[in-house]
Amino acid sequence: MLIRRLFFVVLALALLITVAAAQDEPQYAGLDMDLSGITIKMANIGGGTYEAMYESIPIFEEATGATVEIVALLDGFAIDQKLKVDFATGAADYDVAWDHTSFVAQYTPFLLPLQDHFSEEELAPFSPAILDAATIDGNLYLIPRHADISPIHYRKDLYEDEAIAAAYMEATGEALAVPTTLEQIDHQARFFVENGHSTYGYTLAGRDEALNGRFYEMVFASGGAMFDENWEPVFNDEIGVAVAEMLHGWYSDGIIPADTTSLVWDGVAAYFCNGDTAIKLEWYGWYAYFQDPDNCPAISENFGLARGFTGLSLGGDAVRPSGWAGAHAFSVPASAPNPQAGIQLIKFLSSERVAYEEALLGYLPTRDDVWDRVIADAAESDRPLDRERLELAKLQVAEDFKTPPLIAEWIPFSNILYPKVQAIMLGDIGAQEGLDQAAAETRELMADAGYYG
Amino acid sequence: MTINRAGKTQGEAPQPAPRSNRLEAGTFPYMLILPSIAVILLVVGFPLLYSLYVSFTPYELLRPNSLNFTLGKALRNYEKLLNDAIFWRSLGNTIIFLAVSVNLSYLLSLALSQLLARVTVGQGILRTLLMVPMMFAPILVGMQFRWFFNASVGLVNNFLYSLGLIQAQGQIAWLVDVPLGMFSIIVASVWMNIPVLTIILLAGTLSLPAETFEAAEVDGASGWQKFRFITFPLLAPFSYIALTIMSLDIARAFDIVRIMTDGGPAHRTEMLWTYITRLSIENTKFGLGSAMSWVTVSLSVLFTLYFFRQLVKARIVR
Repeated sequence: MLIRRLFFVVLALALLITVAAAQDEPQYAGLDMDLSGITIKMANIGGGTYEAMYESIPIFEEATGATVEIVALLDGFAIDQKLKVDFATGAADYDVAWDHTSFVAQYTPFLLPLQDHFSEEELAPFSPAILDAATIDGNLYLIPRHADISPIHYRKDLYEDEAIAAAYMEATGEALAVPTTLEQIDHQARFFVENGHSTYGYTLAGRDEALNGRFYEMVFASGGAMFDENWEPVFNDEIGVAVAEMLHGWYSDGIIPADTTSLVWDGVAAYFCNGDTAIKLEWYGWYAYFQDPDNCPAISENFGLARGFTGLSLGGDAVRPSGWAGAHAFSVPASAPNPQAGIQLIKFLSSERVAYEEALLGYLPTRDDVWDRVIADAAESDRPLDRERLELAKLQVAEDFKTPPLIAEWIPFSNILYPKVQAIMLGDIGAQEGLDQAAAETRELMADAGYYG
Repeated sequence: MTINRAGKTQGEAPQPAPRSNRLEAGTFPYMLILPSIAVILLVVGFPLLYSLYVSFTPYELLRPNSLNFTLGKALRNYEKLLNDAIFWRSLGNTIIFLAVSVNLSYLLSLALSQLLARVTVGQGILRTLLMVPMMFAPILVGMQFRWFFNASVGLVNNFLYSLGLIQAQGQIAWLVDVPLGMFSIIVASVWMNIPVLTIILLAGTLSLPAETFEAAEVDGASGWQKFRFITFPLLAPFSYIALTIMSLDIARAFDIVRIMTDGGPAHRTEMLWTYITRLSIENTKFGLGSAMSWVTVSLSVLFTLYFFRQLVKARIVR
C-alpha cells in the first residue's frame, strides 16, 4: 500500500515538474482558433536573412487548419511601393502585410486599427517605446516584430594590433580605441585607408530612404534636426552642411567605396563580411550571419560592437548617441478578406516562442520576455559578444531609440533629400547649395500637404 | 439560272437594292469591327483620357479625396514640371539614351547581319546563339549587367584588374561616374536589342536579288562599293521597319535602368520612365506623374510624326 502511495506521489511530482517546465518554455500564441478552410494571404519582406523566419508558419497551419499563402516576398522599399499601389487601387486582398514604423504613417487610412483585437495582456510584453511608434492618433496600426537600431560594427584585428595602435598615436596624437564619436570615426577611417590597413574605412547605405536615414542619424546625433517644431526644414543649417561635407570628403578621398551610392543593406553588409571595411553602423539582424565562418570567414569572431556614435562636436551640448530606430512589424489591411484570421497569424508570428526563435537568428526582439530569455541564454555562451551585444542593444533601445518623424511625407521627403545628399557626396553640387535646394523642395512638399495652414 | 455576284439573276435589269439592305451592307463591316473598337476604347482610350483628367488634378495615390478638378489649379502640375530641373534632365538623358542605343544597336546589327550572311557553315547554330539574349527578360538583363559593372565584385573591373589596367578592384565605379553610368545602361540595352535587329536585317540581306550583285561584280565593284551602293539602299525598307520596332520597343529598357541604377545616383541616369515611377508610385503624386506621362507621350508622338515624315521623304528621294 505504501509503495503504491509512494508511486502516485512520485508520478504527481513528475507531472508537476513537467507542467512547470513546459510553462517555462516560451509559448506560441494564436493557435486557439479553428481556421479550417481559410487561406490567409500575406505580403512579406524577403531576401537577405529574412526567409528563414517563415519556417515556423507550418506549425500555425497545422494547429489551426488555415493555409498561409505568401503573395509577395520583396525588399522593404518594394513592399512599400506595392502597398501604395494596392491600397490606391483596392487590390490589397491580403490579410497580413509586412510594415515598418518609418512607412506606416502613409497607409493609416487603409489599415485596420488593432488595439481592439489585442488584449492588454497580449500587448504588455512589447516594448512601450516601440508600441508608441506604432500608434498614430490613438490607433495601434502595427504589431512589432524586430527592433531596428544600429550599433557600430568594427573589425577587432585593427584595434588589437599594437603596431597599428602605435602608428595611429604617432600620426594623430590620439590613442586608438573603439570610436565613440563621429569625429573619431572620421580620423580612424582615414588612418586605416591611408595606411593600407583596410580597403575602406567606413561603409554606409548610399541610396533611397536608407541614405536619408543615415544622414538624419548623423544630423540628430550632432544636435541637429530635419524639421523644427513648425515642420519647417532645418537640415540645411551648419550641422547638416558639416555632415554633408564629411560625406563628400569620405567619398572623394576613397574612405567609403566608390559605389556607395548604389548600396543598400545587402551591399553594405557584403563589404563588412568580406573584411573590406573597418567600421560601419549596421542593425543587429546580420549578427548570426557575420559570425558564421562559412559566410564571412574574414570577420567571423573578428568583429566587435559598440554604442552608436555621438555626433560632430559642432553641436556642443546637444550631441547625443546615434539611434535611428524603428521596428519591422505586421499590419492588417482594412480591405483584408479574413482580418480575424490575419490577426491570429500575427499573434502567432509575434508570440514569445516565434520571437524567441527569431532572436536566436540574430534579430532584436521587441518583447521584454524574449529579451530576458535571450540574455539568460547568452550568459551561457562561450562567446562574450553574444551577451555583450544584447546588453548593448537593450541599452540602445532604452536610451537611444529615435524614430524619424512619423509622418506620411517621410518617404516623399526622402526622395527629395537623398538624391541631393548623393549629389553633394559625388561633388555635383556644394553642400550648402544642395541642402538649400532640398529644403526649398521640402517646404513645397509640406505646404502642399497642408502643414503650414 | 446563274447567279451573279450581286445576287441577281442574269437577264433581269439591275434594280437598286432596298434602302434597308443598302444600310445593312454599309454598316455590316463596321458592326464586325465594333467589338474590337469597343475593347480598344475601353482598354486604351478610357485609361488615356482618365489619366489626362488626373493630370489636371492634385491626385495623390493614398489620398482618394485629392482626385478633384479645380479650374484655377488645373495647370499646376504642368507648371511644376516645366520648372522641374530633374524633369528636363531626365528628358535629356532619355533622348541621349534613345539616340545612342538605337543607332548603335542598328550599326552593330547591320555589321553582324552582313557577316552572318556570308557564313557558309554553321549559320543555323550561329543564328540560334544570336537569339539567346532574346530569351532573357529585361529585368534579368539588368541584373546580369549590374553584376558585370559592379565596382567591387564586377566582371569588368575584375578583368581590367587582372590585365593590370587598374590598380584596385573597386577603382572604376561604372554605375556611378559620368558618363559611365549611361554608358553601362546603353551597353546592356544594345546587347538586348541586337538579336531582333540582326534577324530582321539578315532576312533582308538574304532576300536581296543575286543578279544585281553579279552585275556589280562584272562591272568590277569592290566589296565596300557593293555594300554602299546596293546592299545598304536595298535594305532600307528593312532598316526602317527594324528602327521603328526598336524605337517603339525601347521603353522595355525601363527594367534595365530600374535594376542597374534606378535613375541614380543623384539623377545622373534618370530617365522619363524612372522619374515618372518615382513621382507617381514612390512619392504617390499620381497627378504630377500623369502630367509628366502626357508631356512624354506628346513628345513621343511629335518625334514619331517627324520620324515618319523623314522616312516618307527619304523613300520619295530614293
